[in-house]
Amino acid sequence: MIILAIDALEYSLVEKFDCNNLKQEYYGKTDISEFSEPRTMVLWSSFMTGKNMEREILAKGDKEMWNTKIELKDTFFNGFKNPRIIDLPGFNYVKEHHEQERVLLKNYFDAKTDEEKDKIRKAYNNLAFEHHRRIKQEFSAALNDDHDLLLGYFSVADVVGHLNFGNRTMMKMIYRDLDEIAGSIKDTYIVLSDHGMEKLGMFGDHSGYGFWSTDFNELENPRITDFAGLIKEIQV
Amino acid sequence: MSEKYGIIKVPEELITKIKERIQGTEFNSIDEYATFVLEEVVKETGEEEPEEVFSEEDEHKVKERLRALGYLD
Repeated sequence: MIILAIDALEYSLVEKFDCNNLKQEYYGKTDISEFSEPRTMVLWSSFMTGKNMEREILAKGDKEMWNTKIELKDTFFNGFKNPRIIDLPGFNYVKEHHEQERVLLKNYFDAKTDEEKDKIRKAYNNLAFEHHRRIKQEFSAALNDDHDLLLGYFSVADVVGHLNFGNRTMMKMIYRDLDEIAGSIKDTYIVLSDHGMEKLGMFGDHSGYGFWSTDFNELENPRITDFAGLIKEIQV
Repeated sequence: MSEKYGIIKVPEELITKIKERIQGTEFNSIDEYATFVLEEVVKETGEEEPEEVFSEEDEHKVKERLRALGYLD
């Protein structure tokens, strides 16, 4: 079983850019209406544990929230013999890298001139793309290994989207690449996002639903917490 | 059947700008980027949304949203 976990993969853009590998046979929106806000850390933590983790994660506060590290035994990954999880928030993501992104994001909003903002935006995008390439290589190599569960988490659509969602060319380039990654998978896979993204001028804000796709099951409007049980069932 | 390619001329200044733009992106060459952008332009039918431009109001809104989502202090 392979899971392509894509932060902020937006349903309407998957449709618009006709990303057939991301769509697979069955696809739709996930229901995340039980959460007060579409927060990345809350949603991925809820996905891996199969339960709503909002209260627990928010109790940590906005800063400490990003340090969440859920143990293997508390996730559905534990039901697999040789799982490989790549860069998933709340489990094993490269915290320092994501912190760097948030620092640049803050610098962008603090910058006083257009030139300064432009420079920071470029540095921010480059950092996201560099990280994306590293994760892509790692994921690609892991596809050849013997894992009964492989999960690759890709953050580029979210990170770049926050400052560039109104740039259609850039977003299309990202979706094309994500679609190619999905196309490189030869095994059964699930595509899942925590939330989507909606345009706020040239910027992007989290939307109130996520994206899912499979080639084996019509799930209609699943909750993100349903996937732990669903994947366990498939494994059996 | 393999795809046929032709040659087009563009100002060198534009080539320099494209080189800068594709650094750190998934594009491996200027040709690849130029083909992608031209395909997008040719495809345009008038129903596509225009590229968005910067506005301080949008920036303020997204900053507040990012703060609410825990991305900013």
